[in-house]
Amino acid sequence: MDDTILEVTDLSVEFATYGGVVQAVRGVSFTVQRGKTLAIVGESGCGKSVTVQSIMGLTPVPPGKINSGTALLNGKNILGLDTKSANQFRGVEIGMIFQDPMSSLNPTMTIGNQIAETLMVHRGKSNRDALREATVLLERTQIPEAAKRAKQYPFEFSGGMLQRAMIAQSLACNPSILIADEPTTALDVTIQAQILELMQELQRTENMSIILITHDLAVVARMADEVAVMYAGEIVESGSVDDIFYKSAHPYTLGLKQAMPSNTANREKQLIPIHGSPPDLFAPPVGCGYYARCPHAMKTCERNPPELFALGDEHYAKCWLQHPDAPTVDALNQMDN
Amino acid sequence: MLIYTLKRLVAGVITVWFIATATFIAMHQVPGDPLMNDKAVSDVIRQNLEQRYGLDKPVSQQYLIFLSNMLPPDPDFGISFTQQNRRVNDIIKDHFPVSAILGLLAITFATLGGILFGALTAIYRNRLPDFIIMFLVILGISVPSFVFAALGQLLLVNVNALIGYSFIPVAGWGTLMHMLMPSLVLGLGTMALLTRLMRSSMLEVVNEDYIKTARAKGLSPIRIFLKHQLRNAILPVITILGPQIAAITTGGFVVEFVFAIPGLGRYFIQAVQQLDYTVIMGTTVFYGAFLVLMVITVDVLYGFIDPRVRLK
Repeated sequence: MDDTILEVTDLSVEFATYGGVVQAVRGVSFTVQRGKTLAIVGESGCGKSVTVQSIMGLTPVPPGKINSGTALLNGKNILGLDTKSANQFRGVEIGMIFQDPMSSLNPTMTIGNQIAETLMVHRGKSNRDALREATVLLERTQIPEAAKRAKQYPFEFSGGMLQRAMIAQSLACNPSILIADEPTTALDVTIQAQILELMQELQRTENMSIILITHDLAVVARMADEVAVMYAGEIVESGSVDDIFYKSAHPYTLGLKQAMPSNTANREKQLIPIHGSPPDLFAPPVGCGYYARCPHAMKTCERNPPELFALGDEHYAKCWLQHPDAPTVDALNQMDN
Repeated sequence: MLIYTLKRLVAGVITVWFIATATFIAMHQVPGDPLMNDKAVSDVIRQNLEQRYGLDKPVSQQYLIFLSNMLPPDPDFGISFTQQNRRVNDIIKDHFPVSAILGLLAITFATLGGILFGALTAIYRNRLPDFIIMFLVILGISVPSFVFAALGQLLLVNVNALIGYSFIPVAGWGTLMHMLMPSLVLGLGTMALLTRLMRSSMLEVVNEDYIKTARAKGLSPIRIFLKHQLRNAILPVITILGPQIAAITTGGFVVEFVFAIPGLGRYFIQAVQQLDYTVIMGTTVFYGAFLVLMVITVDVLYGFIDPRVRLK
């Protein structure tokens, strides 16, 4: 495990709002290995975007506040840096792409200029060289007629093309990590597949790590090496993609899986939704965050926050059901459940 | 882009024709006529005068004569009724440049100030500079320009008294020094308006996704501001600039009056009071055409800043 490139420990982020303080991220830890993909999965509002944005220093402070935690990028803490120091790694060591490519690029600047800008700022390239390199980058992200496209504006691109351009932009300085915050959510399924394929290919050629934020388990299954399942600001289960899918140890992971439609048409097998809604993070629950919705909840879950149980090599779950004294739940920890 | 501009120009010509027609009708609906005077005029003199100005013809014919005279390449608005033997064309030629310079300076003041102060308030949002500027903005919007004109003169009087000689003239026209205070006063209202607009536009742009992208790219705050925020935030300001140029050039007569500036506005007002048909028609149509041209210019300019408009 000495190939760790990013190690986040005990990250907590809160936001001061008119309604009170929201504890958006509550003690999140994970590691990213070189050349591997970590997927962070969870429903809307569980804190997955805030987690990566805090690492990038993109959360507005105030109202945001990083309460605790470290993020070691190649052994150096990058959490809570001032803008100038943060710009040493932003766009250089870590590139980032966002959910909605349509609104994530400046509408009044050509695509080429926007990509070239990164190179000019970080690599000190001249305008001309940077533009030429931008065209090469566009070619690498498989945009046809890259030279012509580089001179065009975002509104002349389709959504999928824009996301390719975003990827080209984030790769400009050969970052070792690409953070993709729901990169395919705003795209239709065929384009989604193309973008994911492109990301995988670039990952192979560049030996780049990817942090993939998504709520789509199909995307996770396709892309991830490691998975962290987030719920109510915490990582409730983490492990290899096989552990998460075939040996789900947390009822929430199981719930997500059961709510996902399968490929095989089957009338008898119904989708099981997770009832209720996530807890109010203005006043996070004392015990387990999933207590109110959990079909297997026990008395202890209400009052006592679950410990982190190690279930195998790099497979962890935050659930009392993993305690030796807990009753066995058939569906959990089973192959092929 | 060329077709777009041409289309706008054709529409502009139709607009000017509308303005001319509406003014003509409205003017002839006003009770009284331009030959009425304090002094009694004998019937013979009256008949002669009516003949000279073509007022003895039916109104419809007067309208046609007026339109045909107005056509390019050599528009002729006729002779003034009240100023003996002075051609309306000459009045416009002599006095419009003064109004135009005043208006242009005012617009320049307003735009630069509006963008600068708007950006400042957005950067210092909810802090002291923001509060101070926004308070001044409310003053600028709500206080009429003749009050500022008088206050401005008072200020100049005191400054000049302090220095000991007339450093910045209090009134009159001729040098750049003469132009400073009136154009500042004239542009103040618009500057206030643009400041507000720029502020809200800036605050909107700050929250856009592409600003987040720019930060994730590791750009410096100054670069983000100049390259990504400003240009996008200026768009709504430019939109409103066309009508504002209209407001400033037509609204200039109060300021012209207070500062004793020989602009066109004074003749315009005088003509309306005295029902000087030819001067009213001439100045209105001229102003109308000028404003239409300004609005078109601004719209075309918009295309250069926003690529999305350019290709339509």
